[in-house]
Amino acid sequence: MKSNHRQLTTARAISRARTLVVAGAFLPLIGMSGTAWAQAATPAPGASPAAANVINPEAIQALKTMGLYLRSLKSFTVRAESTTDEVLDSGQKIQFASTVDLKARLPDRLRMDVKSDSKQRELYYNGKTVTQYAPRLKYYASVATPGTVRETLVVAASQYDLTVPLADLFFWATDKASLDDITAGLYVGPAHVGGLACDHYAFRQEGIDWQIWIQSGKTPLPCKLLITSADLPSQPQYTTTLRWDVNTAIDDKTFTFVPPKGAQKIEFAAAVAVAK
Amino acid sequence: MNPIQFQKLPMAGLLSVAIAIAAASVAVPAYAVARDAGKGATKTNVNKSANSNKNVNVNNNSNKNVNVNSNVNSNKNVNVNSNRHVDVDVDYDDHHHPIGTAVAIGATVAVTAAIVGSVTTTLPPACTIVIVNGLTYQQCGSTWYQPQYVGSSVQYVVVAPMH
Repeated sequence: MKSNHRQLTTARAISRARTLVVAGAFLPLIGMSGTAWAQAATPAPGASPAAANVINPEAIQALKTMGLYLRSLKSFTVRAESTTDEVLDSGQKIQFASTVDLKARLPDRLRMDVKSDSKQRELYYNGKTVTQYAPRLKYYASVATPGTVRETLVVAASQYDLTVPLADLFFWATDKASLDDITAGLYVGPAHVGGLACDHYAFRQEGIDWQIWIQSGKTPLPCKLLITSADLPSQPQYTTTLRWDVNTAIDDKTFTFVPPKGAQKIEFAAAVAVAK
Repeated sequence: MNPIQFQKLPMAGLLSVAIAIAAASVAVPAYAVARDAGKGATKTNVNKSANSNKNVNVNNNSNKNVNVNSNVNSNKNVNVNSNRHVDVDVDYDDHHHPIGTAVAIGATVAVTAAIVGSVTTTLPPACTIVIVNGLTYQQCGSTWYQPQYVGSSVQYVVVAPMH
C-alpha cells in the first residue's frame, strides 16, 4: 500500500538507477534491491536537481506520527547499537561502534550508559541534577538543570557542549523538532530492521542527509536512524539501531547518581558561543 | 606492534614539543583524526536543539569551527600504553600509570613548561589526587592540573599550584 504513495520523482530515479545497473532485458525482474538503491545514490545523468529536493507530505507526516507516539510514552527503555565514522586527516573514514542503554521516565528522569571502544560514560538526571560519570576515569560532575529531560538536554548542549546520543528521541513532535529545516523528504519503501517490519524514509536538511526506519503498525517507534554529515568532505555517517521496551517499569534509584568508592568530583567547563 | 601512538596537540605550550620529539623515534606513523577548523565531528542528532554548536573556550585558543561537536576540535589525544594506531577521543583508566612510555614521558619531562591555562587530555605519570574545596586536582610534580568535562571529554587544565 505504502508504495502507492511514493513520489513519482522517486520512482523515476529508481527506474533510472535500474537502467544503469542491469541490462534492459532484466529490468522487469529487478525489485527494490539494495543494488538498485546503491546506484540510485548517484544521480543518473539528466536527473534534474529539482527532482532530488521534493518533500513528500507522507514522509513528514510519518515523522509527526512517530513523534506523537514517542510523546505519549510515560517511560521507555532503549538499547541502541551505533556506529560513528571518524575521519582521518587523509580523508579516510574509520568506523567505531558504541552501545547506549537508555532509560527514561517522562517528563523528568533519564539514565544513559554509553559504551564505546574509546569511551564510557554514565548520565543521570533525577529531575533536579544532571550528573556525568566516567566509570574508568572515575570522574563525575553534576549541575542543576531545569525540570524536564528535554530542557536538560538543551542546557547540556548549549551550556556544556554535551551532545547526548539519542537526544532526538525527546525532541520529535515538540517545538524543538526541526521539521521546518527539511528540504527533501522521501518514502523509500517497506523494510526490515532486526526482523521488525518498518518503513524507510529519507530526508535532507542543511548539513545532513538522514534516513529513518519507523516501525510499521500501531507502535511507530524509530527502528533505525542514519545521519550522513553531508557538509563534510568525507561524508561520515552515524547509524543507530534501536530496540524498544515501553512496558517495563523503571526503578527510582536508576536515575540518581551515588558516587562509587574512589569517584572524584570535577566540574563541567562552561561553553561559549562560537562566532561564525 | 608499537604501542605508542600520539597526535598533534593544537594548543600552545604543554606537550606539543614533547610529541614532536617523540615522533622522531616512533616507527609507526600516527594517524590524526581530522578535527581541524573547517572540518567537524560526525553529527549524531537530527534536531538542532539536541546538538551542541558551541565551543568551550578553556585556553583562549579560539576555534572558529561551527560544526556540531566542534568542541572536540581542540581535543587531540596523546595516547600511551594502548594498542591503538589511530587515535580518537580515547580515555582509559590507566592514564596515571602508563607503562612503556619512556620516550614520550621522558621528552615531556624534559621540555614541558606547564603554562597555566594550557590544556591536555593526558597526564604525566606519578600524579597525586588532591582535593581542594571539594574539587579534584592532579598534582604531577610541581604542576597542578584541574580535570574537567568538556562535553563528554575529560580535559586537564594547568592551574596555579594550590599550595
